[in-house]
Amino acid sequence: MTAAWTPVALARDLPRLGVMPVCVDGIDVALWRSASGRLAAWADRCPHRGMRLSHGFVRGEALSCIYHGWSYGASGSCLRIPAHPDLEPPEAIRVPVHRATENNGVIWVALGDQDNTPPALTGLVPLRSVTVQARAEVIRSASGLAIGADGIARGHLASIAVAVLMQALPEGATVLHVLAEPADPAALIAASRAVEALRRAAESKGAA
Amino acid sequence: MILYDYILSPDCYKIRLLAALTGQRLTLQAVDYHPGGEHRSAAFRMLNPAGTIPVLQDGALILTESAAILTYVAAMSGPDWLGEDSPQMRGQVAQWLAFAHRLSASIGKARSHDMLQQPADINACRRAGVACLQELESALTEQRLMGFGYLAGARPTLADIACFPHAMLAPDGGISTDPYPAIRLWTRSLRALPGFIEMPGIHRLHELKPEPIGTAGQD
Ligand SMILES: N[C@H](CCC(=O)N[C@@H](CS)C(=O)NCC(=O)O)C(=O)O
Ligand code: FES
Repeated sequence: MTAAWTPVALARDLPRLGVMPVCVDGIDVALWRSASGRLAAWADRCPHRGMRLSHGFVRGEALSCIYHGWSYGASGSCLRIPAHPDLEPPEAIRVPVHRATENNGVIWVALGDQDNTPPALTGLVPLRSVTVQARAEVIRSASGLAIGADGIARGHLASIAVAVLMQALPEGATVLHVLAEPADPAALIAASRAVEALRRAAESKGAA
Repeated sequence: MILYDYILSPDCYKIRLLAALTGQRLTLQAVDYHPGGEHRSAAFRMLNPAGTIPVLQDGALILTESAAILTYVAAMSGPDWLGEDSPQMRGQVAQWLAFAHRLSASIGKARSHDMLQQPADINACRRAGVACLQELESALTEQRLMGFGYLAGARPTLADIACFPHAMLAPDGGISTDPYPAIRLWTRSLRALPGFIEMPGIHRLHELKPEPIGTAGQD
């Protein structure tokens, strides 16, 4: 089965040793980056007692659960159980692993097999990711952004050319990942404020 | 210097945190805030008529607002934290010290409602708390676009210490912090500061802690 790529974060918002919760097609995912820079997207549920792994922490190339410290390596398999340091953890203890890739400063995740690559977004710089309590259609009509042949919403915010990637969340919310043409800080700050204005407009439209 | 303190209070923790970061010694005087309600007692109101914590007493001086206490501790033992590099920076520090009151009145209230069963209009507190976090996120985003990692510039000041605890503890009041990448990165840098201390619900960056060793009783 092939699944679509979902944009989940701007790459610069996930530094090495960072972990964050994201949502893909209604599924909770722990997105993390190892000390060497390797990106991973795992089911956000510890095989031990179900704690969210996105509350955990990265040490070297492994992700550890905050609850009892079980740690998991690159393939998702359990490496270490602190309460039983001499035990070799059984192969069956494994976190489901999803596909994650980084492309032009955006991190994308797919839940199923995926042969193609996410759309290219060259010549843009990351602006910000903002969660909006409104559906994508409402945001599009509030924004005046146009959808191009590549399926990406483009337009201008505070006179800066932007591309806006939309990630659907449960219960009708949407994350906007906004990229902008390179510009000086003052112009980018104006564009960032325009994203906030768009959020407010879409939320009041959605509530109306 | 005596701090009238409650371990679970974010407004008390910010004073303990600044004292730890600046090397200021504090004598902690525990107040039985919950369940005792000692801050509302007649004796405590002789010290602070407002009946709130934290309270700082140093000789004849008594301060009862956390913004003032932070300013005093910084002036005594860590003047860099006052953020007096420029008029702009001074203005921004004052801005965020004032903003921190809105965090106490929204996130702080939602949290004491959920954790300590104190009365509050919980939906109004949560709405106001979300609005505060959105403003904080936008401000930190703008700082990043200018190449700065902290609220008042390139280095941490009282502005960051005043706002950090409530931003971390919002989930205790039913307010998610998942949607805020700039807040997440900022709290990470603060949690990695040399001399950083913890409170229940706020931890030092784990990757800076030693590898845990197995202890009996864990499973
Ligand atoms: N004066 C404010 C008060 C801070 C505050 O709200 N403290 C809470 C505890 S964290 C309190 O004392 N509340 C009194 C009450 O609820 O009766 C400050 O120092 O920032
Ligand atoms: S729930 Fe993760 S280690 Fe126990």
